[in-house]
Amino acid sequence: MVLGPEPVGGDTTTLVADEPIALAGARAIEGRSLGRIAWTRLKRDRVAMTGGGVVVFLILVAVFSHFIIKYLGHPPNEFNQKLVDATLQTPMGKFGGISWSHPLGVEPLNGRDLFSRIVYGSWISLLIASLATALSVIIGTVMGVIAGYFGGWVDTVISRLMDVFLAFPLLLFAIALAGVIPNKAFGLGGDALRIALLVFIIGFFNWPYIGRIIRGQTLSLREREFVDAARSLGARSPYILFRELLPNLVAPILVYTTLLIPTNILFEAALSFLGVGVKAPTATWGGMLSDAVHWYQIDPYFMLFPGLAIFVTVLAFNLFGDGLRDALDPRAR
Amino acid sequence: MMKRTAIAVVAAGAALAMGLTACGSSKTPSSNSSGGTNATAVYNAAIGKVFAPSTKKGGTLRLANSGDFDSLDPADTYYGYSWDFIRLYGRSLVMFAPKPGGDGVNLVPDLAQSLGQASADAKTWTYKLKPGLKFEDGSPITSKDVKYGVERSLDKDTFVNGPTYFNDFLDLQGYTSPYKDSSADKLGLKAIDTPDDQTIVFHLAKPFGGFDYFAMLPATIPVPQKADTGIKYKEHVVSSGPYMFQTNNLGKDFTLVRNPNWNASTDPNRAALPDKITVQLNVNADDIDNRLLAGDLDVAIEGTGLGTAAQGKVLADQNLKAHTDLASLARTWFAVINSDVAPLDNIDCRKAIEYGVDHEGYQRAYGGAVGGDIATSLLPPQIPGYQKNDVYNFAAKPNGDVDMAKQELQKCGKPDGFSINVSYRAERPKEKATAESMQQSLARVGIKLTLNAYPQGDYAKLYAGKPDFAKANNLGIMIYGWGADWPDGFGFLQQIVDSRVIRAAGGNTNLGIRDKTVDGLVDQAMAESDTSKRNQLWGQVDKAVMDTAMALPGVWSKVLLYRPDTVNNVYVNDGLGGYYDYAWMGVKQ
Amino acid sequence: MIRYIIRRLLAAVILLFVVSVVVFGIFFYVPRLAGATPDDLASRYEGKTAGAAQTHELAVKLGFTDPFYEQYGRFAKSIVAGADYSTGPTTEHCPAPCFGYSFITHNPVWPDLLDRLPVTISLAIGGALIWLLAGVGTGVLSALRKGSVFDRSAMGVALAGVSLPIFFTGLLSLSIFSYTLHWTAPGSSYTPFTENPATWAYDLILPWITLAFLYAAGYARLTRAGMLETMGEDYIRTARAKGLPERMVVAKHALRSTLTPILTIFGLDLGLLLGGAVLTESTYSLPGIGKYAVDAITNNDLPKVLGVTMVGAFFIIVANLIVDLLYAVVDPRVRLS
Repeated sequence: MVLGPEPVGGDTTTLVADEPIALAGARAIEGRSLGRIAWTRLKRDRVAMTGGGVVVFLILVAVFSHFIIKYLGHPPNEFNQKLVDATLQTPMGKFGGISWSHPLGVEPLNGRDLFSRIVYGSWISLLIASLATALSVIIGTVMGVIAGYFGGWVDTVISRLMDVFLAFPLLLFAIALAGVIPNKAFGLGGDALRIALLVFIIGFFNWPYIGRIIRGQTLSLREREFVDAARSLGARSPYILFRELLPNLVAPILVYTTLLIPTNILFEAALSFLGVGVKAPTATWGGMLSDAVHWYQIDPYFMLFPGLAIFVTVLAFNLFGDGLRDALDPRAR
Repeated sequence: MMKRTAIAVVAAGAALAMGLTACGSSKTPSSNSSGGTNATAVYNAAIGKVFAPSTKKGGTLRLANSGDFDSLDPADTYYGYSWDFIRLYGRSLVMFAPKPGGDGVNLVPDLAQSLGQASADAKTWTYKLKPGLKFEDGSPITSKDVKYGVERSLDKDTFVNGPTYFNDFLDLQGYTSPYKDSSADKLGLKAIDTPDDQTIVFHLAKPFGGFDYFAMLPATIPVPQKADTGIKYKEHVVSSGPYMFQTNNLGKDFTLVRNPNWNASTDPNRAALPDKITVQLNVNADDIDNRLLAGDLDVAIEGTGLGTAAQGKVLADQNLKAHTDLASLARTWFAVINSDVAPLDNIDCRKAIEYGVDHEGYQRAYGGAVGGDIATSLLPPQIPGYQKNDVYNFAAKPNGDVDMAKQELQKCGKPDGFSINVSYRAERPKEKATAESMQQSLARVGIKLTLNAYPQGDYAKLYAGKPDFAKANNLGIMIYGWGADWPDGFGFLQQIVDSRVIRAAGGNTNLGIRDKTVDGLVDQAMAESDTSKRNQLWGQVDKAVMDTAMALPGVWSKVLLYRPDTVNNVYVNDGLGGYYDYAWMGVKQ
Repeated sequence: MIRYIIRRLLAAVILLFVVSVVVFGIFFYVPRLAGATPDDLASRYEGKTAGAAQTHELAVKLGFTDPFYEQYGRFAKSIVAGADYSTGPTTEHCPAPCFGYSFITHNPVWPDLLDRLPVTISLAIGGALIWLLAGVGTGVLSALRKGSVFDRSAMGVALAGVSLPIFFTGLLSLSIFSYTLHWTAPGSSYTPFTENPATWAYDLILPWITLAFLYAAGYARLTRAGMLETMGEDYIRTARAKGLPERMVVAKHALRSTLTPILTIFGLDLGLLLGGAVLTESTYSLPGIGKYAVDAITNNDLPKVLGVTMVGAFFIIVANLIVDLLYAVVDPRVRLS
């Protein structure tokens, strides 16, 4: 998936897949629902299951991050200057200051606990990425379904709208906007405002990607017999939309949601790296990488751990998403 | 699928391999001298003496800037490094002696034949220009060109960046700008007389014994009126110095080549060794450090020293360390405690901050002992007139005095602390680290800080330096730094502690020190014509400022400058403020 | 066919207009949202001695107090006919096309952009060629050798490529290859192609490879998926059954239908990249329009940011248009719809 002036990761097969992931309503024999079939296939794919397992683990870490930090770690912004060499500013001790008390070491200069900061960063990254993804998916699905189903001028208008959104150089835009917003607005302040802003920017401008796919799917589904059948039975549009089309769109929605999340994680990391993400000293993976870059040559562990965190997260989501797509694709070999 | 397992493993392996290569990267310093080392690199070899003295001309001096100059126009620049570099293409009336150590703070004549002749009341100052001075196109430099240069510098609408000393001290009689000047030759400023082409006379509105320092300013660099293009002049400044502009790509880079009309016999203060000088702009700061160490760059023009990571790398390696100079600057990193923001209008609340902050943390933010000594007051110790004062016991309690802080909080009626914002310049990681350190240390006594970063280009203009903005945004602590415009009490303190220089429009150098006692002492010091008495008075000003608790001193700055093997004839000039003398440096061939 | 082209051209022009209005609108309203008044906006451009009345005068002179449509109208007109700007006593003329005038550097934006465009174009096109060849090549080979060691390792590396942030790989590569091994040029090196093609390539090789690594990964996965799909089609089986050598089957039949959607995406990616390879240029300090925009944002120089965003949008729309037209050439169904 291509997002922004440069892709920040993610799969680009989405645009090729205008060929629908055709999902029939139900299999005749044995009455096994699609979900069950997909699940069986998924279970057999060990790599995808591993990816999925890691994803679940990460989500749990993120959700319970505050507890983990409270009971297993240290306050993420707390300085531990005693652990940092006074002249060189690097952590004392091997591997960036790893110890029982600080399992991933400490940051140079201020001695903040890296483990707690990475855990807290997971919360921020996943929160922003999932909310932004949700925003994109909701808007994209609604618009895509409406455009695909109703066709005609509705479709034209919405498609043009998608073109407008797609024409924005997103990264530039995000930087410029994020740089201009003040510290208090809309009744929010501080971190909450930045997070809301980032969710809005990342989510709101990305909906055409899902929108296009859903529109394509809807277009092909619309021609199917079951829709005709429903209509001939007197069903009205809302019924068809909600009870016939949407359930069949669940699969692509699910797959592309899973694949959109890692892209958004990378996007948020890029924004933090450029200094317009969530503000210091709040720990974010991208922000930590941004700081760590200066230290790379004398304390590479500072760069390694947040980098690995991003990498593992994105990889896990990608693997799981790939596996999910294969599982839901009836033509999978 | 089995295949996918393999793929996943390979993917993880690829990343891990990258990580491991990172860990295993070598730390060997690279050999970079092309022409062999004539002088052995030694730590601090350029402090107090000239390292690798040379008279050999030739080569290209390569400099890089992590940002951009405020302006190349002599009327529009205020950065210390710019005042150092500008001497390559501009000559002012007087300049600092090109001598290492304490001799470097003395002024010597440049365009002028001697230092200024003062009238008895120190309100009239006369200079005579040397004969035989020419611009880069061969036209002669006259006193009228110097006058025109000063006139331009008065126009703060067109040239927004430069200092305002001439605006503040000349007897302007309403004169605003040569661009609004009705006289034909645009020399309508009556405060400056040019009785003949060699003589220039300044008339001040109030007496000032240190006027030679004003004569040192880039504002006195001559500008030919016919060639003046106003705001566009910076695109090609007409040179009076040893070099002239060959190319100037705004925002990217520029190149200087020798000025054939520079008369070396009139200019013993510039060695002018390189044949060519290149300056790259907007280069990533880490890149600059890396390139210096690798021998791809000769000078980091901003003179702010190696970045924290490069510093750690260099100090850990004896060979690399031998290439560094730890220069003491006439610069203090400090913060202003804004009495405009409640509850900091109460002096005890301000004192709570003074006691509560971790001074060692402040120092660490700037690199620990290498960054400088913990400052107990604003005036740096090397400025004449400095007297040691430590009102809040920084020296004895480097990590702050939590008990005293809490006591002060009781006194000011906020026993549980309060919340304010702290501002810093976004592009400066050391200021960010300072803000974070303050946040942590003040949290110990219940004072909650929220960090606000602002772009450094507009920091003084629109944000911290604009009183209304600072007040509206609750900027209780504003992190800042100040280098002396020149090394004496006036040159350091006046612009940052005199409340009368604060303008509502913004662009202030005094972010918020407003106290009548301080102002009174400043007036006394300025009027004092006896040098040693004057210096003493400035020392008293320094203490008075600390008594108001409106300034939170951090570090008396030192910088770890890196001196690659490619440069010779290099030394640190104290008059310029602790920079390498760019007009003296040469390149090994 | 002609009708199709005209329709698409018209649509592109309208799109440009709409996008320009929206972008301008956002840059107009967001500072106001942040609480800035026209006087505040004007105060950045004047000296310390100015008073409130003078500031307001300047705000009016610069047009900050005018309503949105007037300001946009002026902006649109300036693109076509140029404009005059004055902050102090002098008036400067900004010749057409005038995409804005920076009151900080006192220079029009367009010449800056033109100056920096070659850098971004060099970066984008060089990188694009490498990633296209590497990515598609790897993808095809992987598909043909499905399940082999090559396939697995290639796809593994590809997965790593799309899972790592580009600034991370970029900075790491810079540290390793430029500063430690000295194989490649240090950051912020750029020599124009016209000056010295060899140095030009040497300076850009590391940014190209970093960029290519990221994109190639995606393209390899895409190509492989597409290729596998195509190879399973009936007509391929028919071609084989007819006795065509495998090489012809792949090159003449499979590749063509695989590549079409890929080229579509390639065009779009290239368009996006030309709009400002912000991350790569920032990482390597290359003086292209992406870095220009980031520097402008740091310095709060909105006219420059506006200029770059417009140019970026322009490239994206043009790329879209070209891709659409090419698609029409390649796929007759599109023309006829």
